[in-house]
Amino acid sequence: MSILDRLRGGRTAHDVDPLLVELQAALTPERVKMDSAQRSLLGKDASMFEGGVSGPICYPTSTDEVVAIAKIAERHGRAIVPRGAGTGLAGGAIPLGAPVVVAMTKMNAILEIDEENGIAWVEPGVINLDLTRHLTPRGFHYAPDPSSQQVCTIGGNVANNSGGPHCLAYGVTNPHIAALEVVTATGEVLLLGGLDAEPDGYDLRGVFVGSEGTLGITTKIAVRLTKNRPGVRTLLLSFATIRDAANTVSAVIAAGIVPAAMEVMDQKITRAVEHYVHAGYPIDAGAVLLAEVDGAEAGVDIDADRIRELGIANNATEVRLAADETERALLWKGRKTAFGAIAQIAPDYYLHDTVVPRSKLADVLDQIYEIADRHDVLVMNVLHAGDGNLHPLLIFDGREDGVMERIQAAGEEIITASLAAGGVLSGEHGIGVEKQPFMDQLFTSDDLDHQNRLRRAFDPTCRANPGKVLPMGHSCADIQQLRSVPTGVWG
Amino acid sequence: MDLHLDADDLNACVQCGLCLPHCPTFRVTGDEAMSPRGRIHLMREVQDHDAPLTDEVMESFETCVQCRGCEPACPSGVPYGHLMEQTRETLADAGALTPLWQRLAFKPLASPTLLQTGSSALAIAQRLHLVPKRLGISTELPIRRRPLEASGTDVYFFTGCVMDAWQRDVHRSGIRVVEAAGFGVTPTNELAPCCGALQAHAGLAEDTRSLAKKMMANLEPGRPILVDSAGCGAAMKDYGHLLGTPEALAFSERVFDIQEWLAGHMDRLPVAEPLDLRVAIQDPCHLRHVQRVHDATRTVLRPYVRELVELDDEGLCCGAGGAYSVLQPDLAGQIRDRKVASIERSTPDIVASANPGCSMHLAGAGVPTVHPMELVDRALGRADTAP
Ligand SMILES: Cc1cc2nc3c(=O)[nH]c(=O)nc-3n(C[C@H](O)[C@H](O)[C@H](O)COP(=O)(O)OP(=O)(O)OC[C@H]3O[C@@H](n4cnc5c(N)ncnc54)[C@H](O)[C@@H]3O)c2cc1C
Ligand code: SF4
Ligand code: SF4
Repeated sequence: MSILDRLRGGRTAHDVDPLLVELQAALTPERVKMDSAQRSLLGKDASMFEGGVSGPICYPTSTDEVVAIAKIAERHGRAIVPRGAGTGLAGGAIPLGAPVVVAMTKMNAILEIDEENGIAWVEPGVINLDLTRHLTPRGFHYAPDPSSQQVCTIGGNVANNSGGPHCLAYGVTNPHIAALEVVTATGEVLLLGGLDAEPDGYDLRGVFVGSEGTLGITTKIAVRLTKNRPGVRTLLLSFATIRDAANTVSAVIAAGIVPAAMEVMDQKITRAVEHYVHAGYPIDAGAVLLAEVDGAEAGVDIDADRIRELGIANNATEVRLAADETERALLWKGRKTAFGAIAQIAPDYYLHDTVVPRSKLADVLDQIYEIADRHDVLVMNVLHAGDGNLHPLLIFDGREDGVMERIQAAGEEIITASLAAGGVLSGEHGIGVEKQPFMDQLFTSDDLDHQNRLRRAFDPTCRANPGKVLPMGHSCADIQQLRSVPTGVWG
Repeated sequence: MDLHLDADDLNACVQCGLCLPHCPTFRVTGDEAMSPRGRIHLMREVQDHDAPLTDEVMESFETCVQCRGCEPACPSGVPYGHLMEQTRETLADAGALTPLWQRLAFKPLASPTLLQTGSSALAIAQRLHLVPKRLGISTELPIRRRPLEASGTDVYFFTGCVMDAWQRDVHRSGIRVVEAAGFGVTPTNELAPCCGALQAHAGLAEDTRSLAKKMMANLEPGRPILVDSAGCGAAMKDYGHLLGTPEALAFSERVFDIQEWLAGHMDRLPVAEPLDLRVAIQDPCHLRHVQRVHDATRTVLRPYVRELVELDDEGLCCGAGGAYSVLQPDLAGQIRDRKVASIERSTPDIVASANPGCSMHLAGAGVPTVHPMELVDRALGRADTAP
């Protein structure tokens, strides 16, 4: 045996698996993978969850191929798990129990743009920002803009009903989806919703949006286009305390202004971001508020002035208006890369995503700092303040002894505090595997049973992304069992 | 296996995925194993969990263009380029990467006579249609080259290896432009035969270190060293990191990309009638993502051409990647197709690229490509030298 052979492990050997053979015959051998490297990679997404074990990984290029995958998986009694860009933060795309993973990245064509009716048909693997870039020269954009928009897919956005800074005025993903082509776990193709403004019958499209892959795989999506607004003003307000920033947000909404976006960042996160983008964020401020108004040229200056006044009335220490598009883009780049920028401080983070009534923002924030302090963990806060959507980031180094327990305990208290303030579990990242244990706190047992029945109507055999969203006992699959499948990925 | 990667560098990656769309190999495959996040994860699996070096793991490492487009996209500041260079060095040392034939192929780079003779032979073979297409040598190579002469000692002009053999006329243009700004130029010729970039990319960092030491010993201290190949400039600016000595750091600090340096001396360049051309700028990765001085190309070109246009792909790699287009022709071709589509959308008359590899790779797809210095030189050729 040469040195090379000894070092290089060779191609992954696996017994000829009939499931794999059939999948490869239905797609092509290159587009169905089963090697240890691939399985290890697709066992993860952007969340902290580590227990994923994937089966064969398929890269379909058409609806027909997705149907074929679903039928083959059914014959072999295996589940299917759709995956977009793998930026989910709640573990939605994590494969449990060695299912067939259906990676949608190769189905990334923009199929048709109908400017007259304001609709575009796209494949699910289209990247959110690519769609907007494609539309911009035509005077349109796709409004939901998650901070991960440069990479996340429209299919993933639909599955998680994702939001973004500009969803304050425009709404999250749901209202921007007109119709969906869906392949169920049994291989049936459905068309949900329609291009009419008010399609007749039950809104099954709305049921699918936010279903996190548990009702099937969407293979074609009709999104609504939003016209670009002529005027935009972006303000950066600095405050000594995050409470002042939160109060300004409430004051702006109370004054009847509907800004396109209102985002708050606390001091620590502002510093991390500034270090990365050099956009001139004030690193001495206790918190900053990034507010944007858009609309007709004449109106935006009036709104911007009123936000400035309200900020000053709430003790703003500085108010800056972005001078041009470059400055505006830089400020947004800072906000949108906030989650990544924290790695300059410590290698791991646990991001929460609760929503509380806007009037309780300042109080809940105080509680969060107190909880973090008590558990001796570092917390930073970024919030879609206009919606009351909190994103407390717990930052740590996973290599430190006992740190996971403290992070877990602090996280649970933060969620409980948010729920106690009348909030909900997830603003936009979804339930996935991460928030499941808390579903019991939010819903009654009856509620959960009904949800499970709805799910079963789409997925009678429980093979669409099992083990997600609905907690144990209310879902068709026993999660513990799914998690304990013993295949060592590198084995 | 210990890849000798710095644990903190490796742990800086939080797996957020923001780098994915900036990676050319992920863009054309949609495959996580062909992404920066995937490659970093596999480095971790190998180094921390002793995962075997399967062919698929090796393929993931070998298909990386080392364009470093992932670096500016990464909010956590993961030093991806250094991670991949170290990975390749460890694997090459262990004999798992860069087979003997490749190592032999890099040898002549460091020897000017061998390279010039070999290139002339190749040029003759090319005339006789004996050069296989997959080598991607699309421009006609010169059989004979006039030597480059020194005109003064204000600055060094780095001439290097392949570029000097194949594109000496580009050097000539660059030198004329610098001279037009009133500086005396010393071409480095045999004082600095090769920067070692290709070797470092292939994991042969020891070869690069010895070339770096030789160059540092041969070039007199103090003088700025101008480089007209983005890949070479990036490598030379990294000597400080590579050798880790104060001398190497000081050396790296006087290395300038030629556009970068001229952008600081625009007042000394003569005024000239702009060329009647719409020019698309293709930023070489090692200028944009590594040296991050690509704005200078615009500053220098703007007065000398009618119109500059930007490509709409945010500096995504063209797939040339030094020897990459020869070693991974399929992926390099697919990546180039994306670039060509973006160039077509911007409807230029000509494309300006400040790196010899990129321009040859693009020329191979029929895209008319020149070095920015050739355009400035052309404009100055009919320059009104009186200020
Ligand atoms: C840095 C960073 C910032 C983020 N910012 C935001 C933010 O501002 N707002 C926000 O809402 N989220 C945010 N997220 C979370 C994440 O980006 C979104 O949830 C996104 O919509 C996920 O898209 P994806 O393509 O990565 O999907 P994945 O993570 O691959 O999958 C997410 C879920 O969608 C399902 N799925 C994927 N494709 C399909 C399909 N075709 N059919 C059916 N189900 C499918 C998967 O099974 C999974 O349950 C952020 C994440 C990161 C890393
Ligand atoms: S390299 Fe940077 S951008 Fe890419 S996944 Fe890691 S942290 Fe995110
Ligand atoms: S260096 Fe280029 S090819 Fe390699 S991972 Fe980074 S972006 Fe991709």
